[in-house]
Amino acid sequence: MWQRHPREGSKDLREGLERRLGRPLSRREFLRASAGAAVAMPTMSAILAACGKNPRAQTTPGFQVATPDHPVKLPLVGQPIADGLQPESGATLQIYNWDQYLWKHVVQEFCDQYKCDFKITTFNNMEEAVTKMQTGELKLDVFFPTYDVLGKLVDGKFLQPLNHSYIPNLEANAWDMFKNPFYDQGWQYSVPYTVYTTGIAYRRDYIHDDQIFGADNPRAMLWDPQYSGKVGVYDSYRDTIGFALQKEGINDVNTEKSADIDKAKAALLELISAVNVRVEINGAYAKLPKGEYVLHESWSGDIVAGWGYVPKYVEADYEALGYWFPDDRIGPADNDLIAVPSNAEHPVLAHLFLNFMLDFKNAMDNFSWVGYQPPQKQADVNALTTTEGLYSKISNWAAPAMYVPPWMPAAVVRESDLTTTGLRVHELSPAGDTLWQNAWQEFKAGA
Amino acid sequence: MPEGEATPAPKGRRRPDREESPEESGVWYPRWFWPSFASPGIVWLLVLFVLPFYVILAIAFGTVDLFRNPLPVWQPWWWTKSYLLDVLTKIFGAQAFLRPTYYRTLVYVIIASAICLLIGYAVAYYVARHAGKRKTLILILLISPFWISYLMRMLAWVNLLESDGYVNRTLQFLHLIPANHPIAWLEGKPVTVILGLVYGYIPYMILPLYGFLDRIQSSLLEAGRDLGASPASTFWRVTLPLSKPAIYAGLVIVSLPMFGDYYTNNLLSGSPKTTMIGNLIDDSVGSYGQGPQGAVLVIILMILLLVPMLYYMRSTLRAQELK
Repeated sequence: MWQRHPREGSKDLREGLERRLGRPLSRREFLRASAGAAVAMPTMSAILAACGKNPRAQTTPGFQVATPDHPVKLPLVGQPIADGLQPESGATLQIYNWDQYLWKHVVQEFCDQYKCDFKITTFNNMEEAVTKMQTGELKLDVFFPTYDVLGKLVDGKFLQPLNHSYIPNLEANAWDMFKNPFYDQGWQYSVPYTVYTTGIAYRRDYIHDDQIFGADNPRAMLWDPQYSGKVGVYDSYRDTIGFALQKEGINDVNTEKSADIDKAKAALLELISAVNVRVEINGAYAKLPKGEYVLHESWSGDIVAGWGYVPKYVEADYEALGYWFPDDRIGPADNDLIAVPSNAEHPVLAHLFLNFMLDFKNAMDNFSWVGYQPPQKQADVNALTTTEGLYSKISNWAAPAMYVPPWMPAAVVRESDLTTTGLRVHELSPAGDTLWQNAWQEFKAGA
Repeated sequence: MPEGEATPAPKGRRRPDREESPEESGVWYPRWFWPSFASPGIVWLLVLFVLPFYVILAIAFGTVDLFRNPLPVWQPWWWTKSYLLDVLTKIFGAQAFLRPTYYRTLVYVIIASAICLLIGYAVAYYVARHAGKRKTLILILLISPFWISYLMRMLAWVNLLESDGYVNRTLQFLHLIPANHPIAWLEGKPVTVILGLVYGYIPYMILPLYGFLDRIQSSLLEAGRDLGASPASTFWRVTLPLSKPAIYAGLVIVSLPMFGDYYTNNLLSGSPKTTMIGNLIDDSVGSYGQGPQGAVLVIILMILLLVPMLYYMRSTLRAQELK
C-alpha cells in the first residue's frame, strides 16, 4: 500500500507558511514553526477527538445485576497470581476498610506471622470508597466491598481474580453457600467477611423483650409517639426505606413499584411528625448504649458491638441493650466481602490475609471486637451466646462478654437466614434507584 | 545616609518626552508594572475559583459513570439540563418538597446572624471602648476559637448538651429545670442548630466589628457629647451609623458560610425537621447517581447568595462615594 513519507508534509508546511508571510522562511523560523506544529497537532487532534465523543455515550454498563434468582458468573478480567509464590518480604499490607470494622490485634497477629507491617485506610461509605479507588491514587492490597458493587468493580478492572490455592480456608471453614454465592459464582473475586441481619436495637430498661417480640408489628413501635425524640434510623436509603416497606407489610425490599415506594415514603414522613426521628449512621452502636435512643433500626453486628460503647461498664448497662429480629427470620440478611484490588503491590500477602481471616480462631477473635459474625462452619451458632470472646478476656470489663449477649439470641445469624428466609438487598435498575433516591431525599428534606 | 543628602530616586526608566514636575515622582514604569501586582490575585482567582466553578458546571450539566459517580462533561455542547430541571421541579414544581428546606435555612440563618450581631456588637464595642489594658488579652481569647477546628468545637457541644452534660447539670444546679427532666437539646431541636451556628460563626462577626469600632476617632464621639448628646444618643447618631459598613461586612461574612453549613445540623440534630441546604448538597454528593444534582444545588445556592453579596458591594461602594 502506498504510504506518505513522514517528511513529505514538511514541504507543504513550509510553502504554506511562506505564502502567509509573503517572504521566504529562514531555517530557524521554519524549525520553530515545525516544532510548534508537532506539539500542537497531536494535542489539537486529541482535543478534537475528545470533543467529538459524547461522554454520556461512554457509560453503558457491561455487567449484569446479580440477584439470588439470577446468579452471576463474573467475567475473568486479568489473570490470578501464579501458584506457590512466596509472600512479599518487608511489605506494608495496605488495607482499605470501613472504620471500626477490623480488629488491629488480629491484623497484628497476621503481620507477626508473615513479618510485615500494615496500614488501615478507612472510608465512610461505599460511594466514597469506590470514588477514591477510581482515581487510581490509592495503592491497596485488601479491600472490603459490598456485593452490590462487585460486578461494577470487576467491569471497571479494579479487582483481580483470586488464586484459590492460597485460600484453602474458604472451602474448609466458610459456610457452604459461599462456595458459589449468587453475586460471584465460583468465588472468583471475593471471599465472605461477615454476615448480619437488619432489625431493631432497643433499650431493655424502657422496653421489655416480651413487649417487642410479642407485638403484632414490632417495626411500628418506632412510630409510637411515646418514644418521641428517642427514635433513630440509619442514614442509608436502601436499609431505611426497606425497613419502612416491611413496616407497611411489603417484604420485597428491592421493589421498583412506585406505589410501594410511595407507601414507604409516606410512612417515613409520618415518622418525622410522630417521633421527630433522627437519621444517623452511628446511632445504634454508639448512641443507643449511652441512652440517647430507645429504639433504633440496627444491623445485628452494631448492637452486638454496642457493649463496648456503654459509658459505665457494669452488668446492668450491658444488659440494657436488646435486639429484635422476627422469629420467622423474614427480614434483611446480608454479608460483606474481602477482595484484592487489581493494583495490589503485595498480592501474595493479600491472598494470605484473606485466608488468615477465614481461619476459625482469627475470625472469631475478630468477631469478639467488631461484633459482626463471620460465616464459620465450626462456630456453633447455638453456643455463641454462652462463649466468651477474646476481646472480653483480655479487657478489664466488669463482666465477661459473650460473642453475642445471652439475652440477644435473635442477633445470631444462621446460614438459612441468607439462603432461605432472609431478604437479600441487591442492586436496583437506574430508574428504580432514582425512585428510591427521590423518596429518600423527600424524607431527608423534612418536607 | 548623611544629613541633608537627597534621597536617590528609585531605579527605573526616565520618561523621555516630558519634563519632571515637583508633583510627579520623576520615575516612569512600564504600563504593565503596577497592574502586574494583581497577578497573584488573578492566578488565585483563576485556579481556586474559576476553574473549580467550571468543574461544578461540568458536573451539574454532565452525567454519571458506570459506578453512578459524577462524570464531568467539559464540552458545553454536550451538556444536558435534565438535572437542573429535575432540581427546579423539586423546588418549584407541584410537590416542591425541597422548598421548605430553603425557607428553613433562610430563617435559621437570619436568626443566627441577628444573634451574632447583637452579641458580637456588644463584645466588640466593649473591647474597642472599655477593655483598656486588657484589650490584648480579650482579643487573644476571642481569636482562640479559630485555633480549634469547627468540627471539634461542634463535637464539644455534643458533650456539653447531652442529657447528663454540663449545660443540663448547670441548669439543674441553678434549679432552672427539674432534676429528673433534663432538656433534650440533641433530639432534633431547631434552637440547638441555631445556637450551634451562632457559636460556630460569632468570632467572624466580632473581629470585623472590633476592627472598625476601634478605628472610630474619639474626637467624633467627643464632638457629639460637646453638642449636648447623651451617651445613648451619641451611640445611635454617631457610632452606629459609622459602623454600618462593618455590620454589613460581618453579616455577609457569617451568613454566607451558614447557608452552606451542614455539620452543625448533622452533629447537633440529625433530624429531617432541621435539614438545611448544606445537608441536601452533602447528601447528594454522597449518594450514588446524585452527584450532578448536588452540583446543581451548589449553583442555585451560589445564585441565591449573590443577592446579599451584591447588596453588600453596592452599599460599600455608596459609602465610598460619599466620602
